[in-house]
Amino acid sequence: MRALDIAATGMAAQQLNVETVSNNIANMNTVGYKKQRPEFEDLLYQNIERMGAQSSDTGTVVPTGIQLGSGVKTAAVARITTQGTLTQTGNKYDMAIDGRGYFQVQLPTGETAYTRAGNFAVNQTGQLVTTDGYSVLPQITIPQNATDVSISASGQVQVTLAGQAGTTQVGQLQLANFFNEAGLEAIGSNLFLQSGASGQPNVASPASTGFGQLKQNFVESSNVDAVGEVTSLIVAQRAYEMNSKVVTTADQMLSTASQLKT
Amino acid sequence: MDTAIYVGLSRQLTLQRALEISANNLANVDTAGFKVETLVINTDVLDTPDPSAPTVDYVLDVGVGRSFAPGPLTMTGNPFDLAVEGDGFFVVNTANGPMYTRDGQFTVGVDGTLLDKNGNAVQGAGGAPLQLDNKKSPPSVGRDGTITQDGVAVGKISVVRFANRSGLSKQGSNLYSADPSNPPLPANDSLVRQGAVEGSNVTPVTEITNLITISRAYERITQIMNAASDLSLQAVNTLGKVV
Repeated sequence: MRALDIAATGMAAQQLNVETVSNNIANMNTVGYKKQRPEFEDLLYQNIERMGAQSSDTGTVVPTGIQLGSGVKTAAVARITTQGTLTQTGNKYDMAIDGRGYFQVQLPTGETAYTRAGNFAVNQTGQLVTTDGYSVLPQITIPQNATDVSISASGQVQVTLAGQAGTTQVGQLQLANFFNEAGLEAIGSNLFLQSGASGQPNVASPASTGFGQLKQNFVESSNVDAVGEVTSLIVAQRAYEMNSKVVTTADQMLSTASQLKT
Repeated sequence: MDTAIYVGLSRQLTLQRALEISANNLANVDTAGFKVETLVINTDVLDTPDPSAPTVDYVLDVGVGRSFAPGPLTMTGNPFDLAVEGDGFFVVNTANGPMYTRDGQFTVGVDGTLLDKNGNAVQGAGGAPLQLDNKKSPPSVGRDGTITQDGVAVGKISVVRFANRSGLSKQGSNLYSADPSNPPLPANDSLVRQGAVEGSNVTPVTEITNLITISRAYERITQIMNAASDLSLQAVNTLGKVV
């Protein structure tokens, strides 16, 4: 019975839905996390009777035909790259991007990764690094005798040195932007790599045209909406149940058929 | 003489097909832009060799009806999610020619072309793909489908309608193809809504009720077939007795 296979595709799709939702909920408090959403589409149709086929010599045609669907498949798990809310932390090395763009991070392998998580810190040599200790590109070193650090909306890093009046610029942060942000490849630890689908990075200073501006002392929270996720979870669970109901019905019909007297 | 059993079989076959359609509806309860389907069942009258005998009505499925009622709109806030309000369809250019869809979960390609999730280019007015500018802010789509970026119009998304929507053929991947006799017409009264996705218009309660109806009808017809089989058995036993 094909109904069994169709219901199985429905159950598999809903299982993936639950998995995506649970990952979103698990990352509700992850800085810079972007929620994901499974996108489903119907599977191939089998034409039992083609619509438009001639049904008589006089030229009458079948108006609707019979097309039997064969279930559902997951076309994509898309990342929704809307802005997360900015949360004030008071930490001077925390930066949030208000608008488009990604911070660039140097991986130990030498590759450049991209992130929206701006909860940075300095390491033992004064270099600006991520929570994993990877240095932020372009590299910025805060002098040891700096008493205060200020980062402007356009990414200029200025320090106040002990015993000196005024500020000294120690670097300029740059952001990278992609044509198709949703096409970036997630590698965990809030990091992304460029992929064939994302396109080449377009690097510029924050607050220039098409780029977001930096906000010091803030981090970007995840854009996961808890109520929305819980609602999706309920929908997914019920949809799973309904597909299992199809399995039960098909099973009952098979059992009825086998009771036919021969 | 076994007509009752064959009539029963024709009913069983249509019920099985109806179950497959319900199963497909339920599997696609979360598929954007999916339209619910029902099996259209008819009687097929067959003449019996004996003109005085009553005709026999077999059950025959003649078509699949599709309800194009709008699905619920879910606001997502994603600028690349578009939904059509009205009877229109978006057009995508596939390898097999233009296809039509109600699923507006679009994305952009490496070169800035607006794509559907299978990588087919979304058609703009005039048939050309829509090209967005990477260096500008995300697109804003007007109610009539005009796309602007930073206040500059970059194109207009094409929305079409059909005189005969039932004549569209489903191709999977949320796409429909049209017959040359049923060409796309401009859908001037359809509106585009940005940041929203049209959900499936499957109503789960109806489908679950269908499942119960199908299952019970199947049991019933099986009982009738068994009764018919009992009758012929009795006939053999009773009539065949040598008095």
